[in-house]
Amino acid sequence: MAVRRVEHIMGLPISVDLRDGDAALAERAFAWLRAADAQFSPFKPDSEVSRLDRGELTRDELTPDLVEVLSLCDWYEQSTGGAFTARVPGRGLDPCAVVKGWAVQRAADMLRDGGCTSFCVNAGGDVVVSGEPEPGKPWRVGVRHPDLADRLSVVLGVRDGAVATSALYERGQHILDGRTGKPVSGILSVTVLSDDLAIADTTATAAFALGRDGIEWAAEQEGCEVFIVDEDRQVYSSPGLPVHIC
Amino acid sequence: MKWAIPVAVLSVAGLVPVWLYSPGAAHEGEINEVAAPPAQEQQTVPPATTTAPKTTGSAPKTGGSTPQTQQAPQTQQQQQNRTVAGPAVNTSEGTVQVQVTLQGKKIVDVKALRAPNSDPTRMALPLLKQSALKAQSADIDTVSGATATSEGYKQSLQAALDGAK
Repeated sequence: MAVRRVEHIMGLPISVDLRDGDAALAERAFAWLRAADAQFSPFKPDSEVSRLDRGELTRDELTPDLVEVLSLCDWYEQSTGGAFTARVPGRGLDPCAVVKGWAVQRAADMLRDGGCTSFCVNAGGDVVVSGEPEPGKPWRVGVRHPDLADRLSVVLGVRDGAVATSALYERGQHILDGRTGKPVSGILSVTVLSDDLAIADTTATAAFALGRDGIEWAAEQEGCEVFIVDEDRQVYSSPGLPVHIC
Repeated sequence: MKWAIPVAVLSVAGLVPVWLYSPGAAHEGEINEVAAPPAQEQQTVPPATTTAPKTTGSAPKTGGSTPQTQQAPQTQQQQQNRTVAGPAVNTSEGTVQVQVTLQGKKIVDVKALRAPNSDPTRMALPLLKQSALKAQSADIDTVSGATATSEGYKQSLQAALDGAK
């Protein structure tokens, strides 16, 4: 039975498209995402993240899930020389950049473990797909054009995988480089395909924070295929990127 | 990216014998000789190609059972090896300069004096295909884009795909 449902969690519209699941399975995935929001949001005073940040918890008292999230944050912070950071000076601990992809990937794993073989989860533009929407066809994942909201810059054909994009579409928005505290420039849009959304999403975010250096950095990340648009509207794409010819 | 330095180094290394074999003393000046032995010594050394075993062991490794052949070339090396630094060559990957050690007319060692590994940006570019940005419309199942807020979602392509009202 097909199920389509959209719910807003973590400030994101999360769309679940199950081609062979049921409503109860979808609800289980949404329940996990709500729980993850309650546990990891830095904006909720009683979340585990907020309590850690206020010094009410020690490292030894953390849940394995938060330890995993913080380990991912540390890994990408080291790997990018600090351009990516969950601890911007003067602000509280904010692991959101990792939590979103990580939590959505786990929701997708729950769908798969629950017996769903064909689904697409889209959380605010970050995507996990499984199986095929129709026999013999991959999921067609369009990547938004950085300048034109209703157009695509590429379409990927993906069977089992995760696609995440980090980008700035409008003037006035900014992402800060954790190394300098200054707004990032040089790149308009970074899309990463991986087999895990935690990796795809964090790699895309970290690459964006690196600016131009992020082009090669992302391309070198293991298990990641990239599609990157720079300020000159030049596209850099991995040779192995599964571009879908429409 | 890992191939860039070896490829560049070997390309330049391949040129070095060409420079060396060019007849005429005029070319000597173009080569910066780092440790050139006296010319006299060169002439007294017998041709190495027939007698001296290769120093870069192509012989099967038998666990040190052939110490004699390992020793022999080393003593000869001290007499006949010449170390020559090539010119700095600008490549698409950056500046490359190699130092070549010759035994007689054979290259026995190549070392990069300068390699463009200080600039990883340039090095890795061949990994990626470059093209111009295109705008397209197509039938798709879902859209990947920068984090859409709940507010922005209403006008988004994804909302249309979800059939949200």
